[in-house]
Amino acid sequence: MNISLNWLSTHLDLSGKSIPEISDLFTFAGVEVEGIITKGIASEKIVVAQIMEAIQHPDADKLKVTKVDAGEGQLRQIVCGAKNYKVGDKVPCCLPGTILPAGFTIGETKMRGVESKGMLAAAEEIGLPKGEDGLLILPADSPIGVPVKSLFDSDTLLELEVTPNRPDLLSHAGMARELATLLKTPLISAEKPSITAKEASADSIKLEASASCPFYAATRIDNITVTESPDWLKQRLTSIGLRPINHIVDITNYVLHETGQPLHAFDAAKVTGAIVIRQAIDGESFKALDESEHFLTSEDLLISDESGAALALAGVMGGLDSGVTESTTSIILESAYFSPSGIRRTSRRTALSSDSSYRYERGIDPQGVLPAAALAISLLESRSTNSCITQTAGILPEPPSPVALDLTKLHHLLGNSISTEAAEEILTRLGLKKLPDGSWQIPSFRLDLTRHIDLAEEITRVHGLANVPSRFRATFVPTSDVDAAYDADMIMRGRLAALGLYECQTIKLISETQLPDILPLRPMQDGDLIRVKSPLSEDHAIMRPSIVPGLVASAERNARQQTKSIRLFEMGRVFRNAGGGKARDQESESLAILVSGNTNPSSWAAKDRAADLYDAKAILSALLPNQEITLKPKDRESFVLSAEIKAGEQTIGVFARLSPSRERQLDLGSPTFVAELDLAKLRKLTVGPAHAADLPQFPGSSRDAAMELPIDTPNATIEAALAIAKEPLLVSYECFDLFSDPTGMKIAADRKSIAYRFHYRASERTLVLKEIDEAHKRILELLKGITGLVFR
Amino acid sequence: MNEQIASIQSAALELIAAASDVRSLDDARVAVLGKKGTLSLAGALIKDIPNEEKASFGQSLNAARTSITEALEKKQNALQAIADAATLSGIDLTLPARSLHTGGLHPLTLIRDEAIQILRRMGFALADGPEIEDEYHCFDALNTPSDHPARNEKDTFYFNSGKLLRTHTSSVQIRTMESSAPPIRIIAPGSAYRRDEIDATHLSVFNQLEGLFVDTDVTLPDLKGTLEFFFREMFGTTTPVRFRPHFFPFTEPSFEIDVKLQIKGQAPRWIEVAGCGMVDPAVFTSINATRNDNALDPEKVTGFAFGMGLDRLAMIRWGIKDIRLLIENDIRFLSQFR
Repeated sequence: MNISLNWLSTHLDLSGKSIPEISDLFTFAGVEVEGIITKGIASEKIVVAQIMEAIQHPDADKLKVTKVDAGEGQLRQIVCGAKNYKVGDKVPCCLPGTILPAGFTIGETKMRGVESKGMLAAAEEIGLPKGEDGLLILPADSPIGVPVKSLFDSDTLLELEVTPNRPDLLSHAGMARELATLLKTPLISAEKPSITAKEASADSIKLEASASCPFYAATRIDNITVTESPDWLKQRLTSIGLRPINHIVDITNYVLHETGQPLHAFDAAKVTGAIVIRQAIDGESFKALDESEHFLTSEDLLISDESGAALALAGVMGGLDSGVTESTTSIILESAYFSPSGIRRTSRRTALSSDSSYRYERGIDPQGVLPAAALAISLLESRSTNSCITQTAGILPEPPSPVALDLTKLHHLLGNSISTEAAEEILTRLGLKKLPDGSWQIPSFRLDLTRHIDLAEEITRVHGLANVPSRFRATFVPTSDVDAAYDADMIMRGRLAALGLYECQTIKLISETQLPDILPLRPMQDGDLIRVKSPLSEDHAIMRPSIVPGLVASAERNARQQTKSIRLFEMGRVFRNAGGGKARDQESESLAILVSGNTNPSSWAAKDRAADLYDAKAILSALLPNQEITLKPKDRESFVLSAEIKAGEQTIGVFARLSPSRERQLDLGSPTFVAELDLAKLRKLTVGPAHAADLPQFPGSSRDAAMELPIDTPNATIEAALAIAKEPLLVSYECFDLFSDPTGMKIAADRKSIAYRFHYRASERTLVLKEIDEAHKRILELLKGITGLVFR
Repeated sequence: MNEQIASIQSAALELIAAASDVRSLDDARVAVLGKKGTLSLAGALIKDIPNEEKASFGQSLNAARTSITEALEKKQNALQAIADAATLSGIDLTLPARSLHTGGLHPLTLIRDEAIQILRRMGFALADGPEIEDEYHCFDALNTPSDHPARNEKDTFYFNSGKLLRTHTSSVQIRTMESSAPPIRIIAPGSAYRRDEIDATHLSVFNQLEGLFVDTDVTLPDLKGTLEFFFREMFGTTTPVRFRPHFFPFTEPSFEIDVKLQIKGQAPRWIEVAGCGMVDPAVFTSINATRNDNALDPEKVTGFAFGMGLDRLAMIRWGIKDIRLLIENDIRFLSQFR
């Protein structure tokens, strides 16, 4: 909401208050100051000065050294580059210390070696509209030494954000009332125009919807000539950014921003018979004055006439055809109380809003309905000669019930930082009245005050939290499951970062086009995707069932930046339905990893090499060093080399490479490996050992075996054979060499050579040679059973 | 005999002196001290020597052996020093390192962890709740009127099921109070969603941290002390902190918190960092109705709650000008936070 300081000053003496002081006042009233726009000249330090002398600067062709009389008793020397003045002219002089609208401060300085104590200014330099080039030449009769500000209109516009609980602040009078309370200064009293009101006859107002419209007042004013508004009125409206239209519309707008009570003026010639306030008929159409057309429901309240024609969507917007035009000669002025929830519903459904609906839906002061009409009529009457009678229908809402203040609770809340007297004084200043029974009568404009806590809030607000002591204390809390999960996640984050991966954060809403990249732990079936009903854009329409698409998009972005090595991870929630859209929506937590491009940053010491599957697998193994991580091939649509990730026997995630065509499509340039892992399972695997194992007491011994195999025999075949062996003396083994030759020179092209080292040991004794040889022989015998295997 | 030993010794010392590497030195050792070495063979003659000369012979033999062994050792050390020097020559300390990957955590993780560490020291435990929420936990239980503007489909993401994406982490307050009794002292970091177009200052999915303390004697001084302490831990012990009156449906009184900070290249100014307030008794009442007990009796129990935007804190902490940098994952950005 916009507030003009000049306008506000008609209610309250704000002289001597700086803009920052006033701004702070609003801030601590709970009203956020979002912008301050100063029109005209702000600074007092810009004064009228007469140029008494202007001589050429000794060292600069384009500068003159002037002596000016700024009413200080002695002349002031200022260096100036303008050309448009003559000696004797009066111009604005910015004294040292002036802060110009552009933000810099005028000081005393030397210009090319000559002292200059201030600045002579052009119009635009001091915040006035741009005038002729050069200095602003002031009228010859301007008094020397007075602030230039006083010669021009100036005002400050405050852009304020009023919280929804304070509709009483949505007007200049309301805001002035609040500031007067906080400043403990009286409001400037003004004569309130009176009004003659009587109950309406059925031929003038038919109130058929008293629930939505408890009270309706209409005043017919005849013999009107629609004209332009007087200057003062136009100025008021333009000062808060409104455009003057004609004096009728302008007066209704003025009254709204002055009192907070919305008014509406109908052209009486367009009203057939009585004004009818009724609910709309389902499907009834309404054309608003912004020319938009709406189809209403029976929940919407209409102002219509006896012909049935809709004149206005009550409290929201006037109709296209019922408004005041230049040819209007009679008007019906509406001032009403509409129920807030009805207006909110209609405004929300029709997406129509206005200054009126903004106030009605927050709740207006019932006691302000008729005074606002009176103010408008008095302003109209000053331009026409009619005396008029206001007809009313319905009854205004009851005044708010008194509220009890619980002093024990209040002092507890505030840490005993305020006396009861001071607290009660605050309520009194806010317009509340203490009743004989100790409860507080609430003013009609404070509909938000209904409970003890509302009064306590008011006292706290005015008292200020700065005046409340700080207490430092804590209670003991045990570690929660969420704490444990968080700690495990941070350990894994640290490990992944140490392995050279960057943590990412991607948007949890993804697009249809990203779906080929999803790699959920379980394949999706139709209906498992969770889509938002009205996405902002197609890019963010589906709750991600997997983090991989986000990482793929991040990889694409980095590849575009020519990043040679892309190693990313992200942890977070993923979303899916558990049963084709018919079951529950599930949220679980995933870790996703992506590896693409060089294994290491380029260096002199090693050739660049693109990361392969085994590099990616190495990250998984290093993430869970105490687990045996294996990949078990399992097809996944739109990926290649896809597999289940196993930790021992447990499946903990999915691994895959993007299809080469997808990699080309994304310009990734290197094989791109991705994994999505079940974070809940990982957390359990991150936990360290329950017991530390004893170190071996006796030495072990190793034996190597070199084998040749058909090239497509998977390594898992060997491991499977070794698992079957259940050889008690075999404690571990490792594959230490792998060799093949596509040319067939060193080994047949369809064969590979593979070498294993086996470690034998017994926990309770030193093995003798014979035992080791026999154990190794048992292993080799089993390996021999593998089709096509020969020992080298 | 002693002369013979003297000549063996001098020949041996010459041989040792002449050795130019470890191998020729070892040859010399074998030639003198080996089983068939000159000194060993000479030593074997002791059995043929008259008894009265044996002592003298033995002494010369030992003297020769000692001298030769010392010479060998000395030469061995000298040769080793030369070899060691050779392994160090030609090493250029000014060449760049071999490369190792160094990844890093996301700035949002860093700021969230910093906040969590501070709050844990202050005795808060973590809690969480679903991001796909129902209207009850996101709005109704938080005392938000049924026609409140935030419930608009224009501002909030809804699903056909009637559920919605939580617009704030405050729903975790409700879920926690439904399942546990006072004292409750929790923090809940998490994502929240609003139907905002993504631009330099808005994300449709953003990150918050919620806090709640409910007990029998929780007052405004607790709220003030807790949050002042938190933000001074976060931004420096002398940071000015102020509480501006504000309005939230689920707290009363409510405040917004500003800290006065100097962002690089700007004058110090008040920057909004959080919202907070005393839990509105209506919230307790509605949870009691769900719990079907009076565990949160508004006549006995009070509490305060707070919430802050973590993306915003990250932007303030590092002077990040465009919030989109936090979701674009450009490695040139991420690598700054190592």
